[in-house]
Amino acid sequence: MTVVRGAHEIRGRMHISFLIHNGYGIGGTIRTTYNLAATLAQQHDVEVVSVFRHRDRPLLPPGPGVRLRHLVDTRKNSPDSDLGHPAHQRPTRVFPRADGRHVQYSALTDLRIAGHLGTTEADVVVATRPGLNVHLARHTRPGPVRVGQEHLTLDSHPRTLRAQLRAVYPRLDALTTTTEADARAYRARMRLPGVHLEAIANPVPRPAVQPADGLGKWVVAAGRLTRVKRYDLLIRAFDTVRTQRPDWRLRIYGGGDQKQRLRTLIDRLGLYNHVFLMGVAHPIESEWVKGSIAAVTSSLESFGMTIVEAMRCGLPVVSTDCPHGPGEIIADGVDGRLVEVGNADAVARGLLELIDDDGLRLRMGAAAVRDAERFDPARIAERYTTLFTTLVARGGGPRSAGWRAPLHRATGALAGVALTARAVARGAQQKQKGHTA
Amino acid sequence: MSTPSPAPAADREGTGAAGGPAAPVSGPRTAGTAEAESTPPRGDCTADATGRLSFRIAGPVPRRPADGPPHLLLRRRGKDPAEEVRLPLVPLDDGRLGASLDPGDALAEGRWDAYLEDADGARPPVAPGVHDLRALVDRDPAGGPGPVAVRIPYTTKGGDLAVRCWRRAPHAEAGELHITGGVLTVHGLLYGATPAPGAHGELRRRGTGHTVRAETATDGPRFTCTVPYRALADAAPPGIWDLWLRPAGEHGPRVRIARLLDDIADKKHIFTFPAVPVTGGRAPLAAQPYYTVDNDLAVRVEVAEGAEPSG
Repeated sequence: MTVVRGAHEIRGRMHISFLIHNGYGIGGTIRTTYNLAATLAQQHDVEVVSVFRHRDRPLLPPGPGVRLRHLVDTRKNSPDSDLGHPAHQRPTRVFPRADGRHVQYSALTDLRIAGHLGTTEADVVVATRPGLNVHLARHTRPGPVRVGQEHLTLDSHPRTLRAQLRAVYPRLDALTTTTEADARAYRARMRLPGVHLEAIANPVPRPAVQPADGLGKWVVAAGRLTRVKRYDLLIRAFDTVRTQRPDWRLRIYGGGDQKQRLRTLIDRLGLYNHVFLMGVAHPIESEWVKGSIAAVTSSLESFGMTIVEAMRCGLPVVSTDCPHGPGEIIADGVDGRLVEVGNADAVARGLLELIDDDGLRLRMGAAAVRDAERFDPARIAERYTTLFTTLVARGGGPRSAGWRAPLHRATGALAGVALTARAVARGAQQKQKGHTA
Repeated sequence: MSTPSPAPAADREGTGAAGGPAAPVSGPRTAGTAEAESTPPRGDCTADATGRLSFRIAGPVPRRPADGPPHLLLRRRGKDPAEEVRLPLVPLDDGRLGASLDPGDALAEGRWDAYLEDADGARPPVAPGVHDLRALVDRDPAGGPGPVAVRIPYTTKGGDLAVRCWRRAPHAEAGELHITGGVLTVHGLLYGATPAPGAHGELRRRGTGHTVRAETATDGPRFTCTVPYRALADAAPPGIWDLWLRPAGEHGPRVRIARLLDDIADKKHIFTFPAVPVTGGRAPLAAQPYYTVDNDLAVRVEVAEGAEPSG
C-alpha cells in the first residue's frame, strides 16, 4: 500500500517508536509491548525507547528486529549512570503525581523525554502508560502520529489523574484501550473529540508447547497473589470441589503479598493435599498445559491476559464475570464459563460442571484454542497497522494543521476508513483550539 | 520451570498483569548474528512418561570436536574429582541440536549442571528454555525390581539449566499427608519391594539417633504410617525426625520416605503442612512435617512459637 503523507511517500513501511517506563524489567506492559513490537518489526522499522535502564540486559528479549534504547541510565555501576545527575534530584514537572510511577521521574526525565519526543524521526509514537501519554501529548514535535495506550482502565485512575488526562489527551491522535468496556468508559466520561478511540486487545503468542490434552485432573490459576485476584475465593471454592471430587487438585502460580494469608487459609481448610502455591513460573505456558481447566476469580481484570494464555494452551477458563476483560474474551458456555463475581459457590459449580463432564471439558478446550487465535500477535499487529496507516495518512499532531492539505486524497486512498468523519470533527476542533492556544 | 522466589520488585513493572513472561518469539536462533553471540545456548526440554528427557539446544552452535559430535555435558555438582555424563548432540530438522537422557542412563542422586561442550574445551552453561514436563505430573513409573529413576530439569538460582536426579531401590513414595488430633498419617506407595509382615515406619532423630516406631498398615505396595507427635516429644528433645519405612521389619532394609514422582524439583516450599501443638507434654511444643532440600519427608518438633522451653 502506498500512502501519501505530505511530501513523503511511504511504501507501507513505517517507523514506529514505543515509549515505555522500563523495558529492562518484567511486567504485563513490557511483555505486551515486545510481542507487538516484534510482530510489527516484520514489516516496519520499530524501536522501543525505555525511559529507564536499571540493568545491563533486558529480562525479556524485545524480539528480533526491535531496537531497544534508554533515556535515563539508573545502573549504579554504569560509567554513564544518571543517578548522580543534578537534574535527577529535582522533581518532575510533567509526569503526573497520580501515576503510580511518579516518584521515579525527575526533572531529568522531563528533559530527556521532551528531547526525544521533540526530535523523533518516527512516523508513529506510541506511549504505554498515562504519565507517558502526558509527555507524548505535550512534547511530541508536529508530524509524528501520537498514540496513547491505556493498559489499565480509566476506572483505576484517581480523579486527579483523570482530570489531568482530560486536559491533555485531546492532543493525542488516538487512544487505545484493551477492552471495549474501557473504551466505552472513556467515551462516556472523558469527552475527547477528534481523538480516535479504539479497543485493541493485548497480543498473546501461540505457545511453544502443544495444547493440553484435557485429561489431567488439575485446575490451574496464575497471577500475582494480590487482593484483587481473590485467590481466597478460589481456595474456598476448591474446598467444595474437593468434597465432591477429591481426585482433582489446584495449582496457583505466582508470588505476591497475599501468599502467607492464602497459605494460612489452605492450612485452616485442610486443603494442603489439594491446593498448592507454586511460586513464580516462567514461561507460564508449560505450566498451563499441566492442567485441564483454568480458574480466574478476580474482582477486576483490566484485560485478562492469563485467560487468553490459558485458552491458547487449550484450557477452558472458569472466570468471574468481572470488569473489564473476561466477558469480552470468554464465550460463556462455548469456550469457558463466566460466573458471578465474589461467589465461591458459583465458582465451585462452574469448576464441577467441567470436572464432571469430560466431553464438555474437551469440547470447550478445543473451542478455546480456536477462539483465542484472534489474539495472535499477527492479528493484533494488523489492527495497529491499519490504525497507524490511517492516522499517518491523516497527518499527526494537533498543531500540524499544515498537514491537513493532503487529507482527503490520503484518506480516500484507504479502504474501509472509518476515520473520515472523525477527521472532519477533528478539523473543527483544531480551529476551536486555535483560539484558545 | 517454576522458581520459588518472585523476581525482585525493581524488575517488575507492577501493572497488575499476571503470570510469567512468555518469550515474544520462540524458535531457532541463527549462529553468527549479534544476538547469538551475546546469548548463551538455550535448552528446551521435554519429558516423556518413561522419564526420558529430550533436550533441544538453540544458540551458538559449538565447533565440532575433532574426535566426534559435540556434547551436552551434565556435571554433578560438588563432586571432586568431577563426575560427568556426555550426551551426544545431533542436528535436528529445525536447526537446533538434540540430545536425550534415557531412563536407563544411571545418574547418581544430586544436581547435574548442564553445559555445552565446545571443541576448544569451553563449556558455556545452558540457559533454561521451555520445559514441557507435563508427562512427569502424577507420574507412576512401572513397577518391577529395578531402581526408580527420577530426573527433573529446573532452573538454578544462578539462572542456568540443571537436572535434579534421584535413583532409589527400593523407593517409598509419599502421597497424601493428614494431620488430625496431633497424629500425622502418611499414605505412600512402595516401589522395588513388597511390604512383608512386620513392615513398619521408623522415625530417626537427627543428631542423637533416637528412633520411634510408627505403626504401619499395608495393602499390596500401599502403606499407611501413623505418627503420634506425642511419641516424638516424649522420646527425645525437640529436633528433626527423618521418616523411613522398614518394609521387611527390623532386620530388613531401611527405605527413605520421599516425594519424588512429579514435575517439581524442589518440594520444600510448595508442599507445606501446618504446624500443630503437641499436647500433653511438659513443654509447649509444635510439630510440623516438611520435605527436606532432597525432597525427603521429615518432621520438625520445636518449642512452640512464643513459648519458653521449660527445662
